[in-house]
Amino acid sequence: MFKYTIKRLLQSVVTVLIVVTIVFLLMRMLPTDYFFTEDQLMKFTPEQKEEQLQAAGLLDPMPKQLVRYYGQLLKFDFGESRRIQNGVDVVSVIGDKFTISMKLGCTALVISLFVGILIGIIQTLNKDRILDHVGTAYTIFVNAVPSLVSYSLVLAFGSKVLGLPSLYSTRNPSETSILPIVCLSLASIASYALWTRRYMVDELNKDYIKLARVKGTSSAGIMIKHVFKNAFVPLAQYVPASFLYTIGGSLLVERFFSVPGMGPLLTDAIVRYDVNVVQTLVVLYAVLGTLGVFLGDILMMLLDPRIKLTGKGGTR
Amino acid sequence: MKKRGKWLALALVAALAVTTVGCGSGKKESKGEKGASEEIKDLVTYEVPQREMENVFVLNTEMAADLNVLCNTNEGFLETNPKGQLVAGIAKEWGTEDNGLTWTFKMRDDVKWVDQQGNEKADMVADDFVTALEWILNAHKNDAGNNTSMPISMIKGAKEYREYTKSLSADEALKLDKSKFLEMVGIETPDDYTVVYHCIAETPYFDTVAVCACLYPISQGFIDEVGVENVKSVGIDKLWYNGPYILTEFIQGNTKTLTKNESYWDKDCKLFDTVTIKLVEDVTVGYSLYDTGEIDTIDLAEANLRAIYEDENNQYHDYLTEKLPNKFSYQMKFNYAKKNEDGSDDTNWNTAIANEAFRQSIYYGLDLTKTYERANMINPLSCENTAYTMKGLVYFSDGTDYVDRVEELIELPESNGKKMRRLDKEKAEELKKQAIEELSAKGVKFPVEMDYYIPAGSQLALDSATVLQENFAECLGDDYIKLNIGTYVSSLTQEVIDPSLQSVVMNGWGADYGDVQNFLGQETYGEETAYYSMNYTNINDATDPELIATWKEFTDLVNKANAITGDLDERYEAYAQAEAYMLKHAMTIPYNLEISWQLSKINDYSVSHAIYGMQNAKYKNWETSVDAYTTEDYEKFAEEFNK
Amino acid sequence: MGENEKKDDLFRFVEYSAEKAERTGYSDYSYWKSVFQNFLKKKSAVVMAIVFFALVIFSFIALHIGKYDYAALKTNSAMAFQSPNGEYWFGTDNLGRDYWCQVWYAAQTSIKLALIVALGECVLGVIIGCIWGYIRSLDRILTEVYNIINNVPVIIYMTLIALLVGQSFTIMCISLIGFGWLTMARNVRNLVMMYRDREYNLASRCLGTPIWRVLVKNILPYLISIIILRLALSIPSTIALESTLSYLGLGLGIDTPSLGILLRNARNYFLEHPYLLIFPAVIVSLITVTFYLVGNAFSDAADPRNHV
Repeated sequence: MFKYTIKRLLQSVVTVLIVVTIVFLLMRMLPTDYFFTEDQLMKFTPEQKEEQLQAAGLLDPMPKQLVRYYGQLLKFDFGESRRIQNGVDVVSVIGDKFTISMKLGCTALVISLFVGILIGIIQTLNKDRILDHVGTAYTIFVNAVPSLVSYSLVLAFGSKVLGLPSLYSTRNPSETSILPIVCLSLASIASYALWTRRYMVDELNKDYIKLARVKGTSSAGIMIKHVFKNAFVPLAQYVPASFLYTIGGSLLVERFFSVPGMGPLLTDAIVRYDVNVVQTLVVLYAVLGTLGVFLGDILMMLLDPRIKLTGKGGTR
Repeated sequence: MKKRGKWLALALVAALAVTTVGCGSGKKESKGEKGASEEIKDLVTYEVPQREMENVFVLNTEMAADLNVLCNTNEGFLETNPKGQLVAGIAKEWGTEDNGLTWTFKMRDDVKWVDQQGNEKADMVADDFVTALEWILNAHKNDAGNNTSMPISMIKGAKEYREYTKSLSADEALKLDKSKFLEMVGIETPDDYTVVYHCIAETPYFDTVAVCACLYPISQGFIDEVGVENVKSVGIDKLWYNGPYILTEFIQGNTKTLTKNESYWDKDCKLFDTVTIKLVEDVTVGYSLYDTGEIDTIDLAEANLRAIYEDENNQYHDYLTEKLPNKFSYQMKFNYAKKNEDGSDDTNWNTAIANEAFRQSIYYGLDLTKTYERANMINPLSCENTAYTMKGLVYFSDGTDYVDRVEELIELPESNGKKMRRLDKEKAEELKKQAIEELSAKGVKFPVEMDYYIPAGSQLALDSATVLQENFAECLGDDYIKLNIGTYVSSLTQEVIDPSLQSVVMNGWGADYGDVQNFLGQETYGEETAYYSMNYTNINDATDPELIATWKEFTDLVNKANAITGDLDERYEAYAQAEAYMLKHAMTIPYNLEISWQLSKINDYSVSHAIYGMQNAKYKNWETSVDAYTTEDYEKFAEEFNK
Repeated sequence: MGENEKKDDLFRFVEYSAEKAERTGYSDYSYWKSVFQNFLKKKSAVVMAIVFFALVIFSFIALHIGKYDYAALKTNSAMAFQSPNGEYWFGTDNLGRDYWCQVWYAAQTSIKLALIVALGECVLGVIIGCIWGYIRSLDRILTEVYNIINNVPVIIYMTLIALLVGQSFTIMCISLIGFGWLTMARNVRNLVMMYRDREYNLASRCLGTPIWRVLVKNILPYLISIIILRLALSIPSTIALESTLSYLGLGLGIDTPSLGILLRNARNYFLEHPYLLIFPAVIVSLITVTFYLVGNAFSDAADPRNHV
């Protein structure tokens, strides 16, 4: 187990490194003029431009730039932001946003886990009856309506009818977070309900449940002790990853409600050619991505003793 | 699905009905006691994400998005008033006695620097202006080169000092004290409260530069406190402030809060307790925020404006107010050396646009009313731009606006309220015939294809471009000119202007300082300082001899005006002649002024409205009202303002 | 020596022939026939499938019977925001242009894009997935490739592609397929690995059946249900992704309106004029629901285990 963990971690480091290198090279494929604002492009003479590019180290040969970048990475020096917040350390730019996104995301996730699983259980208990169909209709509806539309509706309904504030404010985070959290939860409630129902129904058809029934175990006992516990295992695999991914924020939701989170940061940074921010974000996402999968595997193993992780990565 | 849709629509209608009833009753009450209406203490306004602040150090930026905030936290010598004139601020008096070669500013002695908590850190002295200019010109301190262009072109020794610091190593340059600087550059401080600038040439408009960031001060004490290498990157908590407000909060992507500076020198002025600038996804979202009272002013997008204007019962119907034009004078700038995507010359376009009759047929024939309606459906013709220079930039000594004089010179008919002033269908028809004849002889193929570029993600730009496209087709004919719409993803300059792909750009110039030269000087032939000639029109690469002759003539006229520094009236008259020449030959064609409609609790006529400088968003002496202003209120304001 | 020769006479290798291999154990069981029989039992899915085909066909008819031609639309601010009426069946947009033809034209674009992308993903994903799963030595490399592509945010690729290559329908298709195959390939790979070493496959291999035949005849039938499910789910997600990208300015070129672009625009007006949002939203929802139901039904039907 220990050996396996180490091996997986090392593999992840290699993956992250390759990803970072690719993004580094991709960003440098853009013409250097993106380094400047529209105003600067017009006002600067070619010599001035070259001077600045030189100062930023963008004119050095690529291998030299890469080596320098690796050196900085080793020291966990991610550099300064250029355009998002000029001169501010990238880590602190991201740090502020990261907590906000994570708070919103985790709240939404906890709510959706709770509500989603509850709906799923209710659906299973009422299988093929009216409540089940209502639940299915909800999941289909949420999946069918484009998020752009459903967010607009939530925004309009929430602010016009319920009088909820539609702009996120750090001074009044609890009230102003309601609408963003509703938007964030809409889809994930549906998906948790869907999968809970699917897994529980699958489980119900298994022979051991039938046996338990025959032996006279109470219906509620079966549900809680066997069905739900076993159905939760495949679901659990994605939970840690989901928590981690909340750090990334949601582009659309955060834009809609002006949440100063991570969601719009990546696009903003790319469009403004804030290379350090882009690279740091990619490192972060890559680490989160690999870590999420890894944690999921471990959690699944802990929950279900039958599952053994082998060095091969397994078939998930 | 359909049922659900209907249900939602019903719910929304019901919701709207509820709010309408709710606010409708409020409106009646407010009308009666308008006169006694309360002023706003804590203003909340908004900005869209594309205009989020990027820098907090005033000397390190030229971006309007930054300066709109920083003009409240920092102050230079002078201020601008609602009429766009310079008024005394930190400088009690100022002037020149030698036609603008040396300029003297005499400062108040009671201005303080404070930190973010409002604690007094130092007195403001003349030396602060020296410190700031040194920082700007020092190539290692200000490596981004922002704010250097005006000092270098105007102040004696500035260019040499920048070159000198470039030759030093970073360490040496950072350690420089001001002795070498004072020796080389034309700035001196005879006493603690007097600053004297020596200009390279006679510069009668130098004082208007004082409202730009490049002549703003910083304190030596501040530099010493944070360390010279950190000046650019300190956060708002370590900055020193001397403006009417302190930037107490900056949450990137969400909020900026300005709090009144209790130590501000001007004790009699009217300030808000706080000003909060919220970032709002777009004006449509902003409109619903205004509706719920979360912000105090909102520009109206087309759909909202239409809905309110056309519905007499709309709660905001009587509250529509027309904004004043912003400081940009938009022009259609043609590209005289256009290239195809493969890099070859677009000969067809280049030959056509070099023809004067062709250009003039656009000038007289193109009816832009429908384009104007997009931004201003109520009063589209007020958006017509008549000249190259922006109205309100300079005035003759008898009070005549410079632009009025230009209109007189080009014999522009008075507005009849029905069509654009310059429009002349018959003349355009004739010119079109003439152009077709002349150009066909040169082998130009009709229709002439005109490439126009807009940002890819912007529906607003696409809608406007579509309307413009149809304007061209309707007014001048599909068989004559065809407007093609292209897109760029992120940078117009990078993707379109550099490879010279555009036939035309609609671009507005915002003045750096208060002189016509700043406008006309951008279009001259063969001069490196001419921004538009060098970048947009590419006139220097044109080959048509007639075209070049026209441009040279214009350049001569501008230079003649530049040389007149003693008598300002004479100077402006000479510029007006040059500008009239430019318009008559349709070298560029005035496009529009941005005048849109809004719902607002701010009286725009009390707000600084300068064509140059950076102080139009300075929240000082603003008149506001807790109840929104009505259309009627604004009409009264306008009347008083124009008296 | 002599004995050996005798042996050769007794046992000779037969040339491989697909036809002969099929000959044993003939029954009138046909895989696809059973799939359709099973599928037809699901009434709701059949109805939705018919609705979808009707929608596609109607989108062509609609453009013909509409009173306005998309290519010749003219703006007319006096006619802006007309609610649906006899002249403008879906009303008009903010510039006074007929909305009917815009919606149907956009619907065609979106469906076309989604179908092409789904098919492309499917073909590329299945091929790569099979190779990935079957050839052990390639597993490490392809897993790494998967991780790398999967970990660079799509927005970065899309921005770079838009900046460096441009924006058009073809570019959009290619770039969406370029990331879309990942999920499909991963699913296929996992299944191939599961079935690869089953006894009957071992037997096939020992008998010298070529790899492609093992893959196509022995393994693929097990994959069809999951492939179809992915295919069905990829269509709505392509439409959703396209609308998000359009919202960011990274979507299709301006001359190709899609449902995503219409939805994005309608967002600004829907409070006053809900019909602008409802029409495209209903079509998108219809497509999504159809593929969701049809995909599930078809994938159940395609599972050979359900055929007995």
